[in-house]
Amino acid sequence: MKIVVCCKAVPGAVTDVAVETRGDALRFRSQFQSMNECDEYAMEEAVVLKRLYGGEIIALTIGGVSTQEILYTAAAKGADRIVRVDALAQDPRAASIVLAAALKTLAADLVLTGTQSRDSLSSFVGVATAQRLDVPFAFAVTAIEKDGDDAIKVRKELGGGRSADVRLPLPALVCVQTGIQPLNYVPPARLMRARQQRPQSLSLADLGLTLADIAPRGYRIASVAPPARAAGAQILSGPPAEAVRALLAKMAEAG
Amino acid sequence: MAGDVLVIAEHWKGRPEAVTFQLIAKGREIADARRASLGVLVLGHDIGELAADLAGTGVDAVFVVDHRALGNAACGLLAEAAVASLREIAPALTLVGFTLVGMELAPAIATRLGVAAMTNCVNVECVDGEIVVAKPVYDGALHARVIFDRDAPALVALQAGATPTLPQPARAALVRALALDIESMPRRGEIVQFIEEPIGDVDIAKADIIVSAGRGVGDASKLPMIEACAKALGGLMGCSRPLVDQGWLPRERQVGASGKTVTPKIYIACGISGASQHLAGMSGAKMIVAINKDPNAPIFQVAHYGIVGDLFEIVPELTAQAKKS
Repeated sequence: MKIVVCCKAVPGAVTDVAVETRGDALRFRSQFQSMNECDEYAMEEAVVLKRLYGGEIIALTIGGVSTQEILYTAAAKGADRIVRVDALAQDPRAASIVLAAALKTLAADLVLTGTQSRDSLSSFVGVATAQRLDVPFAFAVTAIEKDGDDAIKVRKELGGGRSADVRLPLPALVCVQTGIQPLNYVPPARLMRARQQRPQSLSLADLGLTLADIAPRGYRIASVAPPARAAGAQILSGPPAEAVRALLAKMAEAG
Repeated sequence: MAGDVLVIAEHWKGRPEAVTFQLIAKGREIADARRASLGVLVLGHDIGELAADLAGTGVDAVFVVDHRALGNAACGLLAEAAVASLREIAPALTLVGFTLVGMELAPAIATRLGVAAMTNCVNVECVDGEIVVAKPVYDGALHARVIFDRDAPALVALQAGATPTLPQPARAALVRALALDIESMPRRGEIVQFIEEPIGDVDIAKADIIVSAGRGVGDASKLPMIEACAKALGGLMGCSRPLVDQGWLPRERQVGASGKTVTPKIYIACGISGASQHLAGMSGAKMIVAINKDPNAPIFQVAHYGIVGDLFEIVPELTAQAKKS
């Protein structure tokens, strides 16, 4: 099974956040970038599937040279090839356009993504990419197994403790739910070795895309700021004993 | 009509999910501001009664797609049917729930119809004729305010529980069956079976007081401290998803979109940052208390009372004082 794992580099601590002047993107500074945690689960699941069924794992990301760091993490976890599309995807729609174009060149049997990125928090890119590729998809998947040579069976969450087992013909795209496999620690020595691996770099032009194709459209960002605290939220201050005493009094009132 | 709003209903076993009423309340507000009409789209099988019920919820129209194949369409086909319906109804604004079902529907619809979309929104409103949403970014530490282009169709996925489910006065609603060719739509996968998880030994949904642990507890060895506090208060221990993912606690303890929805009298969130998936499961609690060392944690936005500090000091103190009283 040829598996492509789509993974995103996300900022650690974010500083200096602002809206770009045209209102189409957020600008921020971050000391370091790491692999989006939801995508790490997709990577771990790919490793397990390869162990069970054989094949190849390709890790794919979009971004500048600094995002290559997460591809080394992917390689250390078990990716056989690492690919970076050298582009800036400013919103989920743009990311889905770039990923779909890159995935067409990679001809995977199975594409794995996470369910959400910690910066955009949109849960959008995976399913949108599947639509652009016109392949079957499933969101929030907690188990994957092969079902014959050309299909998989997945268990997907529907919310409220409900799930469904779904049979998807391959090729397919699956958005992996957190917890599908335990996250494995990457020893530094293995990460050092992984750095020897050379990422394949693709440009937008290689994929037949232009900047205009992936420019945000249909909206503008007016502002970004810490949310206003709800009027009812009252902070009980003081030393722990005092704060707790105040809390118990409030709880007694609420009855 | 220009400016019309459409809600895509979510339902299970013939009953609308709570998020549907939340979307109708918001949809009504926006449709009224734009002097436009509000419709609700319901897709499924054997949904005649459900459609009639929805006609009395304050909408102007109910659009029904009733087909055997949609009865168990938890993925591809449901999206296909929704796309075809929207082509026919052509609303200016479509509202869906940011639920596990909506997370699959929203990107599929937006991509296929080329509609601008914002998901995981905590609010949507009409300001001077423009559709404006608020949505969390960067782990919820920040909220972005986003304005859709005027006169272009838009899709908004709204967090379950983020806005109230105000009941609307009934109107004379038109119920209209959409004639879609479901048979010829591509079937991208098929449902083998549905699974409803058993309630388990511990039913936190029945507890009056829930003390929930989040990532902030650090490791599994600290959970007895939380459980002791729950016990001292006469409640049960719940948790957020990461703890179940780590295998520290069984799924039956999980509160949130993919776990249980709880409405206790008192909900105490210990070391829980307040991701939208968690808030979806507990924002209906009568009193929410947050204990967290990060004063900017999103949980403080929904909490009624908060203590900013080290939960390893505060929780044992709470246990001790509760035992005394």
